[in-house]
Amino acid sequence: MTLILLGLFSGIAFGFVIQRVGATNANKMALAHLMREAQIPQFMLLAVAFSAIGLFGLQAVGVGRTMVLPTSLVATGLAAVIFGVGWGISGYCPGTCWAAAGEGRMDAVFALLGGLAGAATFAQFHETLIPALYLPTSQGPITLSDWLGSSWLAVVVLVAAMSGAAWLVGKLWGRDSA
Amino acid sequence: MKQNNNSPYWSVMPAAVALAGIIVFIFATFGPPASSSGFITLLKGVLAHLAPGYIATKQHYLMMPGPGSWLMAFVLGMAIGGFIAGRTFSVPVRDVPELWEKRFGKSRVKRFLAAFIGGFLILFGARLAGGCTLGLFISGSTQLAISGLYFGVVIFAVAMLTARLVYGRTGKEKS
Repeated sequence: MTLILLGLFSGIAFGFVIQRVGATNANKMALAHLMREAQIPQFMLLAVAFSAIGLFGLQAVGVGRTMVLPTSLVATGLAAVIFGVGWGISGYCPGTCWAAAGEGRMDAVFALLGGLAGAATFAQFHETLIPALYLPTSQGPITLSDWLGSSWLAVVVLVAAMSGAAWLVGKLWGRDSA
Repeated sequence: MKQNNNSPYWSVMPAAVALAGIIVFIFATFGPPASSSGFITLLKGVLAHLAPGYIATKQHYLMMPGPGSWLMAFVLGMAIGGFIAGRTFSVPVRDVPELWEKRFGKSRVKRFLAAFIGGFLILFGARLAGGCTLGLFISGSTQLAISGLYFGVVIFAVAMLTARLVYGRTGKEKS
């Protein structure tokens, strides 16, 4: 029961914040993808940077639970291509469509229904697709820490990369818009 | 990061700090946040009534918790959070986004169909990768996972390309 209340509270806070920054607005998402508005990509990149610092702090005091997903060269890459096409068409991702549907956007309700259909379709073919696409090129749950040999160095590199990307988005996005 | 002072939307820095605070809270009290898994959790709850024999044999449902879980509460919470935020916001919502309307007209059927297809693709992709923008890119990268960074770079690049193909120069003709 505690977990359900925690999930509910976390979800409400999350949904509220992503609405306030405009991430549930498919029009703003399209403008972000078209490099005309920088806010949403910058928001996502900086949220990752701050979260990584926070999680590093949690781990230093031994709090929290982590679970790193494996990297499959083929499946993760192909999945990202399919996902990117859907994101570009609809302007919604699996999280934002819940909040946008709650906000009262009817197109988000249809994105949610399409999502249920897509999830059910994948679940039907899981037994075929995971061994065919995911497992052969899976590198295991590798992290930046494995590559750099130190977790604090990895956090520094990640934060620098995310902040640098957010800065670059600020430079490149919105240059030629009205 | 410049924004009009009269914009009702939060600016980037406070919003990113707020979201990071929530994400760190979730890591502390639950574990990596995810939303695409919530779709499987919801389907599992529905199918448990309609086709209990089917989900008992399918790996993808077996590996996910059912509806009485943090995941289900989280995605429902997101809808509630979106509802509260929308009710207390000055910009009215639209069923057909402005840019979409300029490109494809006012047809709601066309927009809803495209949203359905887009929704199908994002969930199919997310379930293949094991996570979505939140569950894989944000949660994963926060944990320094290569999978999250890899997924994040590719989804942004492909979505940007797709948006160019979908919208072209819509909305910029007169500028």
